[in-house]
Amino acid sequence: MLTSFDPLLIGIAIIVLVVGLSRLRGSWSMGQDDDRPGDWKGLLGYLFGHKKILKTGSSGIAHILLFWGVLFPLIVGILSQFAFTMPLMLAGLLSFAGDILGIAVLAGVVFFLIRRLRIKGPEAPGRVVFPVLLLLIIVLSGFFAEGTRLTITEPAVRWPTPAGWIFAAFLPSSPVLMQLMVRVHFFAVLLFLCTLPFTFMRHLVIGPLNVYYRRRGPRGELRQVTLDKGPVGARGVEDLTWKQLLDAQACVSCGRCEENCPAFISGKPLSPRKVIREVRKQMENPTPKLLENAITGDEMWACTTCMACVEECPVYVEPMDKLIDMRRFQVMGRGMLPQEARPMIRDLEIYGDVNGKGLAHKEDWALNQGVPHISRKSLNAEILLWVGCSGAFHPRYGETTRALVRILKAGQVSFGILGKEELCCGDSARRLGDEERFLELARKNIASFNKYHVKKIVCLCPHGFNTLKNEYPALGGDFEVIHATQFVMELIDQKRISLKYPVAKKMAIHDPCYLGRVNTIYEPLRALAGSVPGIDLKELNRNREQAFCCGGGGGRMWLHENVGDKINHLRAREISENGVELVGTACPYCLTMLEDGINSLEMEKPPGVMDMIEIVDASLGRVY
Amino acid sequence: MFRFYFLSSILSSIANHQSSINNPKMRIIVCIKQISHIYSRTGMDPEKHYLALEDEVFRINPYDELAMGMALHTRDLAGEGEITLLTLGPLIAEAALRRCLAMGADNLYQIDMDANTDPWRKSGFLARAIKDIGADLVLCGKESLDSRNGQVGALLGHHLGIPFVSCIRDIVMGSDKGSLEVQRSGGRGLREVIACPLPAVFSVDLNAMDPPLPTYEEKKRCRSLPVRKLVYDRDTFVSKYIRTRTFPPRARPKTIPSPDSRLDSHDRIGELLSGSLVEKRGEMLTRDPESQVEGIISFLDGHGFLEPKKATKE
Repeated sequence: MLTSFDPLLIGIAIIVLVVGLSRLRGSWSMGQDDDRPGDWKGLLGYLFGHKKILKTGSSGIAHILLFWGVLFPLIVGILSQFAFTMPLMLAGLLSFAGDILGIAVLAGVVFFLIRRLRIKGPEAPGRVVFPVLLLLIIVLSGFFAEGTRLTITEPAVRWPTPAGWIFAAFLPSSPVLMQLMVRVHFFAVLLFLCTLPFTFMRHLVIGPLNVYYRRRGPRGELRQVTLDKGPVGARGVEDLTWKQLLDAQACVSCGRCEENCPAFISGKPLSPRKVIREVRKQMENPTPKLLENAITGDEMWACTTCMACVEECPVYVEPMDKLIDMRRFQVMGRGMLPQEARPMIRDLEIYGDVNGKGLAHKEDWALNQGVPHISRKSLNAEILLWVGCSGAFHPRYGETTRALVRILKAGQVSFGILGKEELCCGDSARRLGDEERFLELARKNIASFNKYHVKKIVCLCPHGFNTLKNEYPALGGDFEVIHATQFVMELIDQKRISLKYPVAKKMAIHDPCYLGRVNTIYEPLRALAGSVPGIDLKELNRNREQAFCCGGGGGRMWLHENVGDKINHLRAREISENGVELVGTACPYCLTMLEDGINSLEMEKPPGVMDMIEIVDASLGRVY
Repeated sequence: MFRFYFLSSILSSIANHQSSINNPKMRIIVCIKQISHIYSRTGMDPEKHYLALEDEVFRINPYDELAMGMALHTRDLAGEGEITLLTLGPLIAEAALRRCLAMGADNLYQIDMDANTDPWRKSGFLARAIKDIGADLVLCGKESLDSRNGQVGALLGHHLGIPFVSCIRDIVMGSDKGSLEVQRSGGRGLREVIACPLPAVFSVDLNAMDPPLPTYEEKKRCRSLPVRKLVYDRDTFVSKYIRTRTFPPRARPKTIPSPDSRLDSHDRIGELLSGSLVEKRGEMLTRDPESQVEGIISFLDGHGFLEPKKATKE
């Protein structure tokens, strides 16, 4: 098939491809070090399963058609260049499959072309249209070439090329046309290869690479930073790690992060897609500028760190950690924390808790509850109860803490608290960018855990749970951490407590982000609801992985929400439309935000909001 | 000896003043008080007024922090300047002092003496230190959170023989170079604008110039900055009066207005308007159940809820 000139052309195309790719590699190798092991198995499973991409519905299906439709004929085409014999039946089957897949590719390409041309605005980059058009030319010229070949040769066995015969019906038996179409096909393929690193199609290489190097540790752990070397956080793109920069190159701008981002949905200026796009723009800029020039404070501080973008991304891009790194630079490099959050940071500095009531009052809630300090000799405590700032100080969430104490007592669990030695876990400070404060608090807390030889901790607040479980080990913490809902479910499973009384008829569950998406704990909440007699659990439209944020995470609890709708109002409306009489959740922020949101609706019979722990306690009956 | 020293310090202060007029760089001194603050009563000992020493919080007086914010504002107005922090007594709140330093101050001076003394003696030593360091503008907080005397600023003006304006909220540059215009807040919303020649002492009230958040770079710089010690003869100033006894305040839990979120908005607004705090009068019954029961019975009995026992007829 090949003329003597063609290998030269193929060689040139491959050289251009390799040079282009190595230049692309240069764009992210300027980033900071990050030790990332690769994962072949995960990558192959991801590519051949296509599970993550198929989540999007129609474009996911179009994508899988394209993926197999390009990969399979490519392999067959390369194999057919080598002269070896194979049974006619097998060759026919391969040809048949290739033909069918060709039709699939045609459908997929047309779908994507129409979809891309219909999108207006900055999210419709022209660099996407060119390669898709090229693909269309490749497929069509291939079919034309095949059609004319069939009209000329008229083979006896017709079944291996069904699509070819359709085209052959309209085509003259002209050898010149066939030769022309073969050349067009060939040159289009070469052009596609040459332009691959420079167009949207770079995702064919970088997408899998990003999946190969994807995060495999706990998702809730933020990047560690060394405080005394250079600027803290991200001043410009060069302060991000190479993996974060690779993320930016791997983004295909599909917009799934945006469709699920609570800040974007509620009309805030933040768009995770834009964040990634701006990072990429600055990477490609020969003289990169400051990141804060491209991404304003309003965008940075709108993020609730709910991880919806991280969950939804089909190529494992994480827009959230870039925002946190930018916040770190704003706070520690510029001293630019939003005014309303500063008292909270000051309270942490002086009093050691986010509510600013002071450590001296940290065990006030436990007055006359018979809650022992962990240091008590006779106690021999099974678990340490991590109360947290909200559990100890928030007037509403204190009820949940007392409910948990009643449950633990009913289950005859020997437990203790740290009392005045329990500082804030540092989650809010870290997510607001004050890494120094977080490290100070975390080190002190870990020292207290080591002092009392704590082995197992039960956390009431998912934010504290995430911090203790995922972030403290890097700082020297060595203990088991479980969430209160998990622990109470264990108690029920072991028949240490039994639930007797009905609480509500129709109930919904609001999954807290830091329990669900971040730590993939969905079942205990439902199991608890299932073990309370008489509860008819109704799942919300957006639940589990797709659960909508309450708007309180990532330090948003301490920031004003001036732009757009209030996130908690959106969620409250969604809950109230389901006609439930009770919403169960498991997070102090969710509880407060949802109560406020539901009250703002001013309904006749608003659904109640309770922590799952409170629901269990109400079903247990009071133990005096 | 003493007189000679005093005279020489006056001479040096005049020399300093002279240089300040020629030197465009404004020298600002901010007087900072370190306070130890026990904000709760969780102790068990009535002798110590139920205060527990472990609840002590060391911080710098919040008004002095505002004075620091005002100093930064003034330096920005003047274009160029040097801010010096001056504190008196042992460094009990060194971390907070260094944080204040990191906001943008250049030096930290400490007068090495016992801080537990009356305002006259304190301000005397501070004035001595200010003369030695040299300043065009002295700023201090309106009053301190622990003793609330509010005297040190005024007495500084007296010792230094320069004007003093209390409770300032804003500073703008005056018509000529050696003066400032300050806005001070009187009672009941009264505002006064006062033109004041330099050098002067101002005490700072709540204002809109929020002290900035120090950056990490600055904190790192200030972590190892040496504290310059000033040692003076302890008998230079004698207390005018002596505090004989203190009654520690009845510490209350710090409360923030947080209405019950389960109420509807009408009730919540009502709760906020009424202060959202419910005064709890009562006595906590602790110890064993028997004594608690006795306590309840004696309460009911004492308040006339129980019928008095009638003598049984026989």
